[in-house]
Amino acid sequence: MPVPYKIPVHVLHFLLLLLLLPAQASFAEPPARVVSINLCSDQLLLMLARPGQIASVSRLALEPNSSYMASEAGRYPVNDAKLEQLLLLEPDLILAEGFTSPSFVRLLKHFGLRVEIVPNSFDLRGIRRNIRLVATLLSNQSQGEALISEMDLRIQRVADHLPAARSKAVFYQPRGYTSGLDTLQDTALNHAGWRNLSKELGVNGYGNIELESLLVAAPDQLFSSAYAPGTHSVAQHRLSHPALNRITGDRPMIEIPYRYWICGGPMIADAIEILADSHPVTP
Amino acid sequence: MDTRGPLLLNLTLGFVLTGLFLFSLFVGSNPVPVLQALMDSINRDPSVISLILTEVRLPRALIALITGATLGVCGAAMQGLLRNPLASPGLIGSASGAALGSVIVLYTGWSAVFWLALPFGGMFGSLLATLLVYLLAGRDSGSTTLILAGVAINTLALSLISLLLNLAPSPYAVKEMVLWMLGSIAHGSMQDFWVMLPGTLLGWFLLTGTGRALDALTLGEDTATTMGINLPRLRWRIFLATAFAVGSAVSVTGAIGFVGLVVPHLLRPLVGFQPGRLLTASAMGGAILLLAADIAVRLFPAGTEIKVGVLTSLVGAPFFLHLILKSRRWQP
Repeated sequence: MPVPYKIPVHVLHFLLLLLLLPAQASFAEPPARVVSINLCSDQLLLMLARPGQIASVSRLALEPNSSYMASEAGRYPVNDAKLEQLLLLEPDLILAEGFTSPSFVRLLKHFGLRVEIVPNSFDLRGIRRNIRLVATLLSNQSQGEALISEMDLRIQRVADHLPAARSKAVFYQPRGYTSGLDTLQDTALNHAGWRNLSKELGVNGYGNIELESLLVAAPDQLFSSAYAPGTHSVAQHRLSHPALNRITGDRPMIEIPYRYWICGGPMIADAIEILADSHPVTP
Repeated sequence: MDTRGPLLLNLTLGFVLTGLFLFSLFVGSNPVPVLQALMDSINRDPSVISLILTEVRLPRALIALITGATLGVCGAAMQGLLRNPLASPGLIGSASGAALGSVIVLYTGWSAVFWLALPFGGMFGSLLATLLVYLLAGRDSGSTTLILAGVAINTLALSLISLLLNLAPSPYAVKEMVLWMLGSIAHGSMQDFWVMLPGTLLGWFLLTGTGRALDALTLGEDTATTMGINLPRLRWRIFLATAFAVGSAVSVTGAIGFVGLVVPHLLRPLVGFQPGRLLTASAMGGAILLLAADIAVRLFPAGTEIKVGVLTSLVGAPFFLHLILKSRRWQP
C-alpha cells in the first residue's frame, strides 16, 4: 500500500515514548526523591526507604527525644516544611501526616507536587496500615511486611508472659493530661497487660484528670512521658506531688521515653516491653 | 480608747476564717467523708481518703490562708506607710516583681537544685520592683504618680515574664503565663506550703509592732518624727517585710490580684480608720477572701480549671470602680 508521506521510525518511537513517560513516572518507577515534612512520616520513611530514595526529612526527625530514627535522620538534608524549600528540593513524592494543615497540602498540589498523607494512628491496626501504605508508596513492600511481622512477634512474646491479674495504671502527664480511649498509650497499656483507669473513667482521647479523681481511682502504677526531660516548669514540678507517690505505695512514677509513641510506628513494641516489665511483683 | 469594737471585729473575722478553713476541707471534685479521713490520718492509716485530705485539700487550704493573709496585711501596711489608698502589693509592683523573680529561678532550674531559691527569687524580685516604684514616684507622691510608676514597673515585669516564658526551654512554660499573671492555688502540695512558709512568717514578724508607728504617721511625717518614729527605718522594715512575705507567697501561687487592695479598704471603717488596728484585721480578711474565692473555684464543674486570681479580680475590679466613684464624689 503506497504511503504518501512516511513518518520516520525514530520520530514514531519518540512520540510513543512521550505518551508513556508520565505513566512511567507515576506508576512503574519507584519515587526517587522522597521528602517527608512531618515527624510521623519521617520515621516511617527512614525505616522503609530503599538506599538513595530519601531527599529530605523534617527538622524534628533529628531530635533524639522525639524521634526514634534520630541518628539515621542525621544523614539527610533537613527541611522546615516551608514551600520555597520544598520546591527547591524537587521531590517526586512528599509525605505529609494527618495533622498537616489541609491548606498547605492544597498549596503543594497547586505547584504540581505529589503529596501523600499518612493518616494518624492510635492502635496496632492503624500502625500496620500506615507501614503498608508507606512501603507501597516507596515500592518496598517486603521491608514493610518484615517490619510488621517483627513488631507483631515482639508484642506476641510479651502477651505470652503476662501476669494473670491485670494491675491498674494511669498515664499522667504534666498539666494533668491523661490518655483514654483511642490513644497509642491505651493500646500499649492494653497489650502490656495493664488496665487503663483513664479509659474506665470515661476519658476519650487525651483529656484532663483531676488529682482527687486520680487518687480515688487508686492506681497501682503511674506512667508518664513528659516532653523535654531536664527542663523545668510548674507543670513538670507537679508530677512530683507527694500524694502521687503515696497512692501507688511509694512505687515511683515510671517515665517512658515519648519517642516510642508520639507517632504510631513499630517502635510501639519498645513501649509495650517496658510497660510489661513494670508490673508489680506479686507476692 | 475603745478596744471593744476591734476586739469584736477580730473575733468575728477569726470565727468566719476558721469556718471557711474547715469548710474548704469538705469541698472537692469527689465526695470524701472528711471525719473518717481525719480518723484515718490520725491513726496513720494510709487510706485514699486520708491522702486526699492531708495531701490535696489541707495544703490547698493552708496556702490560701497564708497567701490571703499575706496580701491583706501587706496591703494594709503599704497603705498606712505611703498614706495612699491605692498602695497594695498588686499595684506598686511587689507582686509582679515577685512573679518575675520566681519565673527566672523556676524555669532555669535553679529551684530544682536548691529549694529555697524559689522564694528567694520571689523576695528579691518583689523588693527590687517595690523600690523602683518608690524611687520613681518619689517620697510623698500623690496617688497619680504612684499609680503611674506602679503601672510602668508592673508592665515591665509582666512583659519580661511573658518574654522569659516564651524563651524557656520547657514546652509547658508558655501555657503557664496565666498562672503567674493571675495566680492559682490549685495543685499545691505540702512541699509548696513549706517552701512559702519561712519567708511569709518572717515578713509577718517584721510587721508586728509597726502598728503604733503607722498610727503616728497618720498625723503627718513631721509629727511622727517628733513623736520618735524613725521614718527611714520604718520604711525599710515595711518594704522588707512585704518583699519577704509577698515574694514567698507569690513564688508559689503567682500574682493574685486585688486582695491586698480591697481588704484593707473594706475593713478600714470598721477599725476606726486606725492603720495599726487594720493590720491584724486585714490579715484575717485577706485569708477569708482568698479561701472563699478558692472554694468558689472548686465549686465550678470538674474539668474547668478557673484560676483563683480570675475570681478575686472579678470581685476586685467593680470595687476599684466604686473607689473611683467615691473619690470623685468627695472632690470639691
